Amino acid sequence: METEDDLCKNNWGGASSSSSSKRREQVCFTSQHKWEDASILDYEMGMEEEPAFQENSNNNNGGQVNVDFLQGVRAQAWDPRTMLSNLSFMEEKIHELQDLVHLMVRRNGQLQGRQEQLVAQQQQLITTDLTSIIIQLISTAGSLLPSVKHHNMSTAPGPFTGSALFPYPREANNLASQTLNNNTCEFDLPKPIVVEERESHVVEEHEMKDEDDVEEGENLLPGSYEILQLEKEEILAPHTHFCTICGKGFKRDANLRMHMRGHGDEYKTPAALAKPNKEAAPGSEPMLIKRYSCPFPGCKRNKDHKKFQPLKTILCVKNHYKRTHCDKSFTCSRCHTKKFSVIADLKTHEKHCGKNKWLCSCGTTFSRKDKLFGHIALFQGHTPAIPLEETKPSAQRGSSACENSNNNNNTGMVGFNLGSATNAIEEVAQPGFMDGKIRFEDSFSPLSFDTCNFGGFHEFPRPMFDDSESSFQMLISSACGFSPRNGGESVSNTSL
Amino acid sequence: MSPSPSILSVLSEDLLVRVYGFLDPPCRKTWRLASKEFHRVDSLSRTSIRILRVEFLPVLLSKYPNLSSLDLSVCPKLDDDVVLRLASNGAVSIQSLNLSRATALRARGLETLARLCHGLERVDVSHCWGFGDREAAALSVAAGLREVRMDKCLSLSDVGLARIVLGCSNLNKISLKWCMEISDLGIDLLCKKCKDLRSLDVSYLKITSDSIRSIALLPKLEILEMVNCPLIDDDGLEYLENGCPSLQEIDVTRCERVSLSGVVSIVRGHPDLQHLKASHCVSEVSRSFLHNIKALKHLKTLWIDGARVSDSSLLTLSSSCRSLTDIGVSKCEGVTDIGMTGLARNCLNLKTLNLACCGFVTDAAISAVARSCRNLETLKLESCHMITEKGLQSLGCYSKLLQELDLTDCYGVNDRGLEYISKCSNLLSLKLGLCTNISDKGIFHIGSKCSKLLELDLYRCGGFGDDGLAAISRGCKSLNRLIISYCGELTDAGVEQIRQLEHLSHLELRGLKNITGAGLAAVACGCKKLDYLDLKKCENIDDSGFWALAYFARNLRQINLCYCSVSDTALCMLMSNLSRVQDIDLVNLNRVTVEGSEFALRACCNRLKKLKLFAPLRFLLSSELLEMLHARGCRIRWD
Repeated sequence: METEDDLCKNNWGGASSSSSSKRREQVCFTSQHKWEDASILDYEMGMEEEPAFQENSNNNNGGQVNVDFLQGVRAQAWDPRTMLSNLSFMEEKIHELQDLVHLMVRRNGQLQGRQEQLVAQQQQLITTDLTSIIIQLISTAGSLLPSVKHHNMSTAPGPFTGSALFPYPREANNLASQTLNNNTCEFDLPKPIVVEERESHVVEEHEMKDEDDVEEGENLLPGSYEILQLEKEEILAPHTHFCTICGKGFKRDANLRMHMRGHGDEYKTPAALAKPNKEAAPGSEPMLIKRYSCPFPGCKRNKDHKKFQPLKTILCVKNHYKRTHCDKSFTCSRCHTKKFSVIADLKTHEKHCGKNKWLCSCGTTFSRKDKLFGHIALFQGHTPAIPLEETKPSAQRGSSACENSNNNNNTGMVGFNLGSATNAIEEVAQPGFMDGKIRFEDSFSPLSFDTCNFGGFHEFPRPMFDDSESSFQMLISSACGFSPRNGGESVSNTSL
Repeated sequence: MSPSPSILSVLSEDLLVRVYGFLDPPCRKTWRLASKEFHRVDSLSRTSIRILRVEFLPVLLSKYPNLSSLDLSVCPKLDDDVVLRLASNGAVSIQSLNLSRATALRARGLETLARLCHGLERVDVSHCWGFGDREAAALSVAAGLREVRMDKCLSLSDVGLARIVLGCSNLNKISLKWCMEISDLGIDLLCKKCKDLRSLDVSYLKITSDSIRSIALLPKLEILEMVNCPLIDDDGLEYLENGCPSLQEIDVTRCERVSLSGVVSIVRGHPDLQHLKASHCVSEVSRSFLHNIKALKHLKTLWIDGARVSDSSLLTLSSSCRSLTDIGVSKCEGVTDIGMTGLARNCLNLKTLNLACCGFVTDAAISAVARSCRNLETLKLESCHMITEKGLQSLGCYSKLLQELDLTDCYGVNDRGLEYISKCSNLLSLKLGLCTNISDKGIFHIGSKCSKLLELDLYRCGGFGDDGLAAISRGCKSLNRLIISYCGELTDAGVEQIRQLEHLSHLELRGLKNITGAGLAAVACGCKKLDYLDLKKCENIDDSGFWALAYFARNLRQINLCYCSVSDTALCMLMSNLSRVQDIDLVNLNRVTVEGSEFALRACCNRLKKLKLFAPLRFLLSSELLEMLHARGCRIRWD
């Protein structure tokens, strides 16, 4: 039986050194530290019957030290002294485990009538410890690799220097996960499979950039992060946080915590309401980076893919999975052609759908003007196209208005209209847009004054030009292919 | 009686053509009426024409086969159909076309024009507010265009500019003043594609320093105007220090964010600069500025209006830039007689001097300038209150070449001063607005001696009356512009004399309460070329005057009738008969009813380009009328 103080002193995870009476909580604790991310953590808690919150805050330091230690290994270059300490540490660890198994054997003799539950728990505990020892071994071995690599590089600096080395950690990885899988079948290990890789060699990653919105330029070393993988059902589940009391689901943990307050005063304490992630003391070393793998086999985001590119957050996993491996069920209500599987994408699209399409004469459209202008500047002979919009409805409206007004006018103008007898004939004779105005003016000009009365008037004989206008129009329209009435349309046709 | 021998027996046709070449435009009119031969010479050698009425267009085009420049900017009723006709009427050889203010012109007409006139090189479409991207695309069909002026084409955007830029890559002059939609993107494309650009006007645009970076890459740019570009700063101008190697003229007037250091960086990079216009952005003429400006040996124009200038700096400046011909130091603090005397001593070639609002300048400075700078042509002394007849005396004695003199608001000017000024017999423009100390006596001197005067501004000169105006009308026969607004003494007797001014085209009679219909009738009868008439607040003019105006002033293009007591009938008469009227102000007409306005506007709605109306009429006039006006490109200002 060891105390909590011992736990804190101990660099390695405290599971093996804990007393059997506390085992359950300890399992919970270790698992908890392996999934740092809040949502997974909560999910995990949801699975457990009794979340071990109180324990958490105490045990936390131990876990922290553990992580620090691992990072220390990663950060340093290979150092025989570190190696030695690692090895002695593992030795110690194995001894501890040995002691524990001894204890169990003895206890088994004493408590034969105990339930099978306890047996399972013991198994679980041992497996976990074994796993961690294996991982530790692998990572210690991995720390040797940089020197090997440097040696290789100096002898054969080929393009495959990095990838040639890759099999080592990957094999180790597989080995680790296999052991895990073999042993975890029976007990209640959370679904996401945890693999810790520990190598500090440098592998250059050239392939980057997926359609997903993450990892732009992120250049994480493989193995310098934890890889978590959620199952399909989890990814697609609408709610990821469930109330342990009433079973209600929530999208966000914060919402769940707010909800929990309604279940009793114990959930109203600041500790219960605090963000579970934030308990790390300020100034402490950062946690090990978590990255996610897509459960879809063969996907580039799947951890078994040769050029695996991890996803940054759970949200990325969800969006990636929906975008890439699910049906696009949301259709844009404006254009009815674009489909999306993520509703946020649909909303983004709908915001801009049909708006300000910047169009080039080559038919390419751009959402932004500067992009269009960049395109035009680049390609010879391309010009910005002018959107078709309404081709001069105003002019046509104007012409109809004019004709209307003309009709109205003739009736209303009787008082003024003293000498225009030819109006009616002209109206019939001259079709078209212009005539309205011409007639209008004619109806006005021969008011009661006679030109002969004023000497100066002869200088500007009223031109007869306007009358020939319609004939001119006809000529030109037939000659140039322009019809004066709907010329706007013909222009737009030619300009495109 | 046998017909007299043809003039051709004495002078061959090509000699006649050469003689004709020396004539001024007014004399050419007389020339072509002299004989058939002369008329023939006129029609063959005439290359440019400004047309007042669209109706005469076909006749004129057939009469003058060698036209290369056509100005349609003052034609009413210019629309697509007219332009289509123009194209079919043999205007194909036109190189230069002015379509300014052709607000009813749209893409259809422009495209036909651009297609048919292969030789088109210069087009002016400024102030066509309907000119947008579609129209620009139509115009871009004319691939040979070299000069395009598009000032205040408010609906032109970067897309339209891009069409023109890509269609006409040989552009070497473009003006985009007040095209408020143009942004950095458009300017950038322009500078990338039109490498031959020599002159660029981007005044008033909301462009940033990015545009200047693009502009700096133009190898042949000589003239760059960027008046009042509020977003351009000193950092932008730094690009110009090492760019635009051929730059000769730059105007950064009223660029808010430009300071002395920006101007200095331009000067540093361009030792061959000839014209530097940096009014109202240089706050002080500092030592570094002077040091750099000394290097500009070819500097001809320097405008630093609004800067703080000391006497010593003015001296240093003038002693190093001796070839200066145009100096603008208006509203400059610290300009005194000492500085101006020194400047006059150094810059003997000075032709233009702007001293507006330099309150400390006295007669001594003017005398020094007049004595030293014998080539002085333009002198602006607005609001120089210390100027008296002594200064004007030396002007009259020495500045025989003076053409333009602005004495607005100089209340030291009196009759004796005018007597001295009248000795400058070459005066073309004289502004005496707000000079309240002048009377008929002084005006009489001007009228009797300044016979070449084209422009006379007597705004609010309350001291002179009918006799003075009569003297002007008798003496200054070539007067084009006459402003006698608010000269309260004037009555019909004086205004009637204006009819002697046959060439008068711009007349402002604002606020003359004493004139009646008789006076206006006489003016309308005599001044056949009247084009602009301001009758605002002439409350006593009755309908007889307006009737006469309607029948005689057939060339009237712009008229202001605000506060006039014109009746419904007279207004309708005016609007229907004045077939060239394009711009009218009709606010506060007490005797005009809504129906009257409606009829009057219907009568002229196809000609109007600009209209100012009483705001409530917006809801009282018929919507058809307003739509019609809009469709024809008329801008309505509601007051």
